[in-house]
Amino acid sequence: MTSFLNAVRISAMAGTLMLAPSLVSAETITLWTLNFSSQAANDAFQKIADDFAAANPGSKVEIVTRGTDDHKTALRVAAGSDKGPDIYFSWAGLGLGGEYIKAGLSLPLDKYYAEYKWDDELIPAALSFSKIYPGGRQGVPSSFKGEAIYYNKALFAKAGITELPKNYDELVADAEKLKAAGIPAITFGGTVNWHVMRLMDVILESKCGAEKHDALMDMKLDWSTEACAVESFAELDKWSKNYILSPFMGIDNAQSFNLFVAGRAAMVLEGDWLVQQLSEAGNLDDYDIFPFPTGTNRLYGFAEYNYVSTKSKNPDLAAKFLDYFISTPVQQEVLGKFSPTSINKNVVYKDLRPLDQKWVDIFNTYSQVYMNGDQAFPLDVTTEYFRVINEVASGNMAPAEAAKQLQTFIGNRG
Amino acid sequence: MTPRKVLSDARSQAVLLLAPALVIYLVFAIYPMIDVVILSFQKWNGLDPHRQFVGTVNYSDIFTKDPVFWGAFRNTVIWTILSVIFPPIIGLALALGLNQPIFGRNTLRAVYYLPVIIAPIAVATMWRWMYDPFFGLFGEVLGMLGLQSWNQDWLGNRNIALYSAFVAHLWQSVGFSMVLFLAGLQGVNKTLIEAARIDGAGRWNVFRHVTMPALKTTITIVLVLSIISSLKAFDIVYGLTGGGPAQSTQMLALWAFTQSMQIFDFGRGSAISVVLLLITLAVVVPYLRWSQKREEFQ
Repeated sequence: MTSFLNAVRISAMAGTLMLAPSLVSAETITLWTLNFSSQAANDAFQKIADDFAAANPGSKVEIVTRGTDDHKTALRVAAGSDKGPDIYFSWAGLGLGGEYIKAGLSLPLDKYYAEYKWDDELIPAALSFSKIYPGGRQGVPSSFKGEAIYYNKALFAKAGITELPKNYDELVADAEKLKAAGIPAITFGGTVNWHVMRLMDVILESKCGAEKHDALMDMKLDWSTEACAVESFAELDKWSKNYILSPFMGIDNAQSFNLFVAGRAAMVLEGDWLVQQLSEAGNLDDYDIFPFPTGTNRLYGFAEYNYVSTKSKNPDLAAKFLDYFISTPVQQEVLGKFSPTSINKNVVYKDLRPLDQKWVDIFNTYSQVYMNGDQAFPLDVTTEYFRVINEVASGNMAPAEAAKQLQTFIGNRG
Repeated sequence: MTPRKVLSDARSQAVLLLAPALVIYLVFAIYPMIDVVILSFQKWNGLDPHRQFVGTVNYSDIFTKDPVFWGAFRNTVIWTILSVIFPPIIGLALALGLNQPIFGRNTLRAVYYLPVIIAPIAVATMWRWMYDPFFGLFGEVLGMLGLQSWNQDWLGNRNIALYSAFVAHLWQSVGFSMVLFLAGLQGVNKTLIEAARIDGAGRWNVFRHVTMPALKTTITIVLVLSIISSLKAFDIVYGLTGGGPAQSTQMLALWAFTQSMQIFDFGRGSAISVVLLLITLAVVVPYLRWSQKREEFQ
């Protein structure tokens, strides 16, 4: 009898030991996101995870960061397997982010929106992306990203530019003034295709206007016959031959940034995240910003979301973490670390750096957004879009031929 | 037959020793290969649970509608031609030099072989920085020599980017050819060399009529291995240019990867892989038949 009881005790102990790790892992959630652009952002995100774990004993948030392409690939692999993160970062919109939602990787969050009342806490414009998908609300906004022209004030003054350009033609005229003063107007890194793409995106918005630009990105207009599309490629050609710091096809965005900080070019087309990078790399007072003057009253940018994965074994805990992440105290504390503005509408802005204040003003000015080309197009068209842009920017393809080849590719998709 | 007899039988021993490797090979090499061939006739984005059979559409698409495929094909052919010319010739020259009784011979052998053991992606990172048109080593050296105008956008100019990438590959791969040739040189009969010299043959004639014939097998192996490795060239190009600018350094292996893992068109990616496989087989099968015949002859 004694030996039987001992056997039961041992079995119970063994069972408890075997169960213990699963209890711990049951309270662990994994979040996949992109590499942060600065150490301050990295530390801030880790602190949020640690504070959440401290406030919720027994829970843990494991953060996995990757480069953009690696992150996309990892999500694809996760989608095809039965394992994956509890929460994953992706962009909002029907392009990149929408593809994973269409594939069923994102869990509809209607009940959590009702439970946590996120609609009362977040900026409506940022929230709007959560409602564009069939089958329920998807993801929770993590940030709004705007992209604009950063310029070196001293170089602008040296070129005799005293007023900021109000439209595209004035911007080109300023670029010409910079060129005449021996200053490359703008810098890009060509090895990362999306960097030069930004210039094409903003030129398209300037030359085609909001409606036609959207229709071109939706592939509802013919690129080869739409005069503004061909004209945009011609403008890209003009910028690459005259105004972009050359050579640029063999460098990446980080090298381009270094050249901008070194005063080798007067402008760079970057996102609001650059304020922190500039702060870490140089004197913020040397720079100022203005939205690319497209004349359409839309801001170039995009929203970023965190989605709860359908692979998650702990969707409740994942939603709880997201609620913690977007809460007013947390967003107030990390303000300026990831972005100069917050998606939480209750956050109070005070003691902002001048450039951060500029971004706040820009976000308050614009109510509409036009998205980056690589988030608007499907992946295969994006790859071809990159190719023809790079061909034109390298001077190897005529603008009309670029528009024609892009349209041929779109047409061949069936 | 008792277990002991089975173990003592040579054929059974061979089967027992080969079986684990064979199982691994079947699971991790043959099965994926078959799956890739099947996938090349299907449409799949990696997300949908079902793959759709589309016949030969992926093949006709890559041959007729893909704006990058033929450029990647041409680049792969150029890369292969360069790979069978430069690394073997330089490797042979180094091997001949380092086969002489010179001071520091072993150290030099290690130095020349060192790049082979570095991960290609690390080599790519290193060379990318050296190629930086603004702050790179080559630009700096040319500047110091007063040849600043010779500085190029080494990886950004589509006319030279492929060759810039190849130079990095050459730096890394030449040590491998060198080692094979060094091994081959150890098999050259010294008596024959001495006899040729006694008969009045000079250095060139000894090399031409004694050393080279003795290296025939090694040369074949080096060339075949160079062809195979160049056909699957991927990592160093990926690390240096990512196939750019404007896909001008794209290679078949990298394009197959891009189609499958970045565009997520696994059907097209597989079709490109199958084309690459067929090209590789066209080289490998004759080589295997030749080596088999040689073994039988010996």
